[in-house]
Amino acid sequence: MTERSQAQRTWRNPLFVWDSGQEVEQLPTASFVSHQEIWDTTRASSTKLFPVGRLRYYHKWAGHGESLWRRHRYWPTRRRVLRIRGEYNEKSLRREKTIVDKRPIWWVMGLIALALIPLITPASLENTLLTAGVTFGIYAAINLCWMLVIGTASIFSLATYAIVGTAAFVTAYSSATLGLPWWALPPLGAVVGLIFGGIIALPATRLDGFYYALLTLGLNELCRVYFVTSKEFGSATGGLYGAATYIPQDWSSSGQLQLAYYACFTLMLLALLLYRFVNGRRLGRILRMAPEKREAFAEATGVNYRQARVRVFLISSIALGFVGGFYSANYGGVAFSIFSFDTVLLGLAMLVIGGVGRSEGAVVGTLIVVFFDKVLITLGPMRLIIIGLIMLFVVLYLRNGLFGIKQQFRSWRNKKKSERRSTRAEKGGEMLPEEATEASSVDDVYRRRYDKMQREFLKRLLTPEVIDEHRRAPQGQHSEALERLLIYFRNQPQPDKYAITALQSIEGYRIVALSGHRGVAPRVVEDKIYRSPSEAYHGVFLRRVQDLLES
Amino acid sequence: MDIWFVVSNTIVLACIYGTLAIGVSITWSSLGLLNLAYGFIFAFAGYGAWLFAQHVSSWGPAVLASGVLSGALGGLFVCALAFIPIHDKPNFTIRGLIATLAINLIGTQSLLWWFGPRSKSLPEIFGTWKFSLSGMTLTADKVGNVITSVVMLLLVLRWMRSSRRGLEIRAMMMNPHAASIVGIGVRRTSFYVMALTGALAGLAAVLLSQTYYISPFGGLTAMIKAVSIALCGGLGSVQGAVIAAVVLGLNEALTTVSIGGRYVLITQFLMIILILLVRPRGIAGILDRAREA
Repeated sequence: MTERSQAQRTWRNPLFVWDSGQEVEQLPTASFVSHQEIWDTTRASSTKLFPVGRLRYYHKWAGHGESLWRRHRYWPTRRRVLRIRGEYNEKSLRREKTIVDKRPIWWVMGLIALALIPLITPASLENTLLTAGVTFGIYAAINLCWMLVIGTASIFSLATYAIVGTAAFVTAYSSATLGLPWWALPPLGAVVGLIFGGIIALPATRLDGFYYALLTLGLNELCRVYFVTSKEFGSATGGLYGAATYIPQDWSSSGQLQLAYYACFTLMLLALLLYRFVNGRRLGRILRMAPEKREAFAEATGVNYRQARVRVFLISSIALGFVGGFYSANYGGVAFSIFSFDTVLLGLAMLVIGGVGRSEGAVVGTLIVVFFDKVLITLGPMRLIIIGLIMLFVVLYLRNGLFGIKQQFRSWRNKKKSERRSTRAEKGGEMLPEEATEASSVDDVYRRRYDKMQREFLKRLLTPEVIDEHRRAPQGQHSEALERLLIYFRNQPQPDKYAITALQSIEGYRIVALSGHRGVAPRVVEDKIYRSPSEAYHGVFLRRVQDLLES
Repeated sequence: MDIWFVVSNTIVLACIYGTLAIGVSITWSSLGLLNLAYGFIFAFAGYGAWLFAQHVSSWGPAVLASGVLSGALGGLFVCALAFIPIHDKPNFTIRGLIATLAINLIGTQSLLWWFGPRSKSLPEIFGTWKFSLSGMTLTADKVGNVITSVVMLLLVLRWMRSSRRGLEIRAMMMNPHAASIVGIGVRRTSFYVMALTGALAGLAAVLLSQTYYISPFGGLTAMIKAVSIALCGGLGSVQGAVIAAVVLGLNEALTTVSIGGRYVLITQFLMIILILLVRPRGIAGILDRAREA
């Protein structure tokens, strides 16, 4: 608002010098306010709004030139290398492509980085990092199989480490006593895993997910107590050692570590492949149809989810047994700590931190937890507390782990957007967007918007002085504010416009409303009878003011 | 086989397991939270009692009371951290389970960090007397355990039946939505429930410490047994928990006598699996359908 408009303005009656009967000489009048300003304040929302971003941004790549489109596929599957959407840009008249799903790129980059780590580690850190890397590879493989059970099959099983540990102990025992070579251990472990998984799949068919979680929690403890107390599995030495290992003893320690690292990395790749082949193909799709609590729906559409669940459970049990056999072939034995409650807890932390139901969640969660647990080993019990705090934070604030953040943010943003939209929908004759799309003429939309704007402006001009001025002189020269109001009232369309009729019987006047149609009589709006025309004029004015304020 | 030994052992075990399992059961049925931080509360209460016995007084009842109080405190802590922030968020059951597990991890590691790995022992609360009764030797801790836990359980059940708060908790157990509609605040009630179940865990911790020791991870076995007994009895049913506690206590006593202590967990789990295969909701599991809806 400028300084000039802020000052109280005075209106001088130009006719005052000639006819001073009942006219006033000068009147204070409403200070000037820009229409735009009134419009803005009317439409502004009083709710506090946060800037929450706009559309999703996708980088647009150039098209493919001559050939219209290339569609390479992975050989055994029908999947494309990247999910790319092709578009025609109407402005630049070019073809464009958008990479819809960039996850494969991240995967490849991450795996290449993991494969290059042993080559670029400084010698001082090599021991720590590569040992942690070995642990990471094995745990990531275990967690990927576990994720198949929890995420894909939605069986909340906590007996994973019981399977791995049993397979590791049995293979280590048979290798130590029967002298099996190292390459026989993983297949033997797979057989053990199949048997063990078959036994614990039995109650899984009967119990609900949650009850099964509790049962398997105890199962793990059962295995621990059994192996710890049994003499043949090395209760005296804290574990069972002396199994055959694939790591040649005559290599240098650095070479041994690198070999172990790459072997575990390969194991993780195999687990990823398994995850992909179970979760991404028919079995996984069937089970995605039947998440927890929607089983009845899936069953109604013909999905035999029980069978599919048991199948996934058995497949991952075999894989877990294989990992168990590999575990004892890698370390040359196995310790009791594989059954400990903390191991299960840390495994669960890995899954939860990354996000249940995603392979990248399993791998990155494992990476984070193993980093804290194995690399920062100097922190002592503090490192487990840190892991617990991260886990707690993730569970309390995130809906589905770190990789669910994007989804969670988007749904939050959509909520905010719709809140913003609903605060904006103040309707005063103006059309809402969905109404406007139905309007036959755009002129209508703008006319109504203009009318609304004008009414908002006129409401500002209504002051007691203006009404008092009209009461004193309904006709004649008026101040600017009153004149603007009267011009607006006079320009209203005929239907329901107020008028005055002179009564025949007595000397009096009454307010009526015109029908707007020829031949249809006006209707009487109130019983009040005015004694003089100027009183009636003022009565009409008051009614119109009332209508304006109510609009 | 000594029949009296089996019977007395059964009774002692059933009392302690019942105390633990009823806590788990009440928490689950009224809050819908499976409290896997129970092991932490257990150890926390044990350490609370130990600190009290070390620094203030080693008079038996006072130590017992301090254990119960610190258990209640641990329960309140878990409630504020794991129940209040997420109980109205999606997927609460699993998230609550994981949150309590995380608290368990943090809590036990903190105890380990603070108090060190060496286990502590509490003073003899019930004295050291013993007497024989028709061939059965009753020691002070056994008699004291049984009497204390039975008295406390009866008190708790009476309180649940007759007091205003107990009525609120029972209303929450039946239907949490309806309870909140008639003005029983979920959050306020949850604090009562968690304090109560925490106190029961503290009681069990002090009673068990008469036989075992207090260590940061000592609550784990107790928690797993409590959870599996509550599961076996039917989550949410107090009678079921008592029945299951008696059955599994008998099983444990019989197994120890006949084949040896190391097979206790195996026979116990075989038993639980058998029971659950026959009745998937536990011995007296009825509330679950309403609770999970």
